[in-house]
Amino acid sequence: MEVGADLVLVSTWRRWLPRLVLMAAIAIAGVLSGKFVGNRIAESNPAPVSGAAVYGVSLPDLAGTPQSLGQWQGKVLVVNFWATWCAPCREEMPELVRAQAKYGAKGLQIVGIGIDDAAKMRQFTQSIHLNYPALDGGFGALELSKAFGNSAMALPFTVIIDREGAIALQKLGPVSPEQLESIATQLL
Amino acid sequence: MRPRHLRSAWAIALLALLPVAAAFAAALLPPHEAFALSARALDPQTLEARFKVADGYYLYRDKLKFNLDGAAPVTISAELPAGKVKHDEFFGDVETYRGLVVIRLPLATAQASHKLTLMTESQGCADVGVCYPPQRQVLTLDIPAAAAGPSEVVVAPIGRPAWLK
Repeated sequence: MEVGADLVLVSTWRRWLPRLVLMAAIAIAGVLSGKFVGNRIAESNPAPVSGAAVYGVSLPDLAGTPQSLGQWQGKVLVVNFWATWCAPCREEMPELVRAQAKYGAKGLQIVGIGIDDAAKMRQFTQSIHLNYPALDGGFGALELSKAFGNSAMALPFTVIIDREGAIALQKLGPVSPEQLESIATQLL
Repeated sequence: MRPRHLRSAWAIALLALLPVAAAFAAALLPPHEAFALSARALDPQTLEARFKVADGYYLYRDKLKFNLDGAAPVTISAELPAGKVKHDEFFGDVETYRGLVVIRLPLATAQASHKLTLMTESQGCADVGVCYPPQRQVLTLDIPAAAAGPSEVVVAPIGRPAWLK
């Protein structure tokens, strides 16, 4: 059921893609041109014009070094919005670590965007031996997640972008291991 | 033949809807409804806040904060009832609230003004496996005269909560 459900979901998104691309581009453009300029999200290019708007986002990692999500363009990009104050997020993350270990070499790239205090994030990510980048999004990253479909602005929220820059899945709440497997099998 | 076709069409339609419903947790309440807040002044020196936590949601006890707004916000030492202890691998034992939570807020000094602004911070989650970021809500309360009895209940305004930085 899970696998079938994901297939339906992916095909639904493909159909909706043009509209979503436009919505995301508009939302991101608004976000980037507004309060985030010079704040947590630095944007080196003009407003993104494609659904691959995520590639235009740059956030500091937990060491403070800016990281552009564009460096993972061409990979299957799993962007997971999380926080230490969110128990379901913390419970989900070991699964993401497993998926990164299993599918990383095939082109899966998980990126965690934390909406939290950097020190707490460092402590937690070390405790679970995080094997993918964790970025410091600040509370502003909730708006970013909203632009990608997280209208409830609750966590965890995950958006999966395929190699072509199309949104393959948007998920509020933990992504199940079966869902991750199914997505990886379909997109890699 | 036709009814069977119809049945499969319905089945397909329903199957198509399932993942959409699951993915977007359409029934998820906005935080101000999941954790409905109201407050009143019991007397010039005591406030009372109530959270009505919807079924399937819970609040964290140690994330509740109450302040009186002013030039320099004053922290209120809230009398928080005991919650249900839940073990958290990262934070240790944490207490959570479900259902109705009534919190007495004793003020350090009796309020001379007729109105005051109560600022609350809260954070909670839904059992379906999502958490809301910390919420800040602001209520303006009437302060009753010394012997007048409790003031009217003020419900926290519905609106986009301010995210805490």
